[in-house]
Amino acid sequence: MLRGVLDLCLLAVIDEGPAYGYEMTKRLRERGLEFVGEGSIYPLLGRLERDGLVETYRAASNGGPPRKYYRPSSAGRIALALGVSEWRAGRDAVDAVLAPVKVEVAT
Amino acid sequence: MNEFVEQCRREWKRLGVSDPLADEMAADLASDLSEAEADGVSAEQLLGTSAFDPSSFAASWAAERGVIPVQPSATNARRRPLFLIAFTGVAAFTLIIAAALLLTGEPKLTLATRPPSGVGGQVHSVSAAAPIEWILLVLATIALGFAARLWSTRGRSHPPTAPA
Repeated sequence: MLRGVLDLCLLAVIDEGPAYGYEMTKRLRERGLEFVGEGSIYPLLGRLERDGLVETYRAASNGGPPRKYYRPSSAGRIALALGVSEWRAGRDAVDAVLAPVKVEVAT
Repeated sequence: MNEFVEQCRREWKRLGVSDPLADEMAADLASDLSEAEADGVSAEQLLGTSAFDPSSFAASWAAERGVIPVQPSATNARRRPLFLIAFTGVAAFTLIIAAALLLTGEPKLTLATRPPSGVGGQVHSVSAAAPIEWILLVLATIALGFAARLWSTRGRSHPPTAPA
């Protein structure tokens, strides 16, 4: 489930505007989401590219070398819309289950 | 960082990733690592624990992207259906023949036994129980079960990835 959510997050940040790899991690970090542990975005981007969910092109970045930019393809936008819908439904269901739980932290 | 990228390149070369694709991935990775370093972001923050294992990182990236050429073992796996079809066919044929021989009650295959000397010296033909037919039936059933398992294993395996 988490793996699918990370894919969704990548599609969401490049739906805001095309971005290259490191730029995506910066956008995610600005929202408090860091790819920690074993994960990095590169294999995920590779899979999105293989599955035709993103389109790529090369363009110069701010004075730096040309970078590979990613943006959602048509299929990627559909996947994003469906994924967001599923995520919200799943999140609401989990919230409904967890809402009655009273959390008490022993000190 | 350059050493990390170089190790990735070596892994991609070992895996058979084409040079243009390896160049592209290496260039993107090097640019991202350089920019991250300029921002004060470490390779570990950018890559997680993959920063300590460039080979696994490179292999994972290439595999997910589908740029690793199909290996010979995968080619053999594609040939398996021919072998499986033949194996299944022989097993099924044997099963049918053995069953037919048993059902007719007149087995054509018999075991001949020679009684110990001094008991008459006659050759006895065992045709009532016909153990060879039973043995064939059991072996064919086992073979068919094995074939079914191979087919189900093949059905669950992932198809080879195509290069991007």
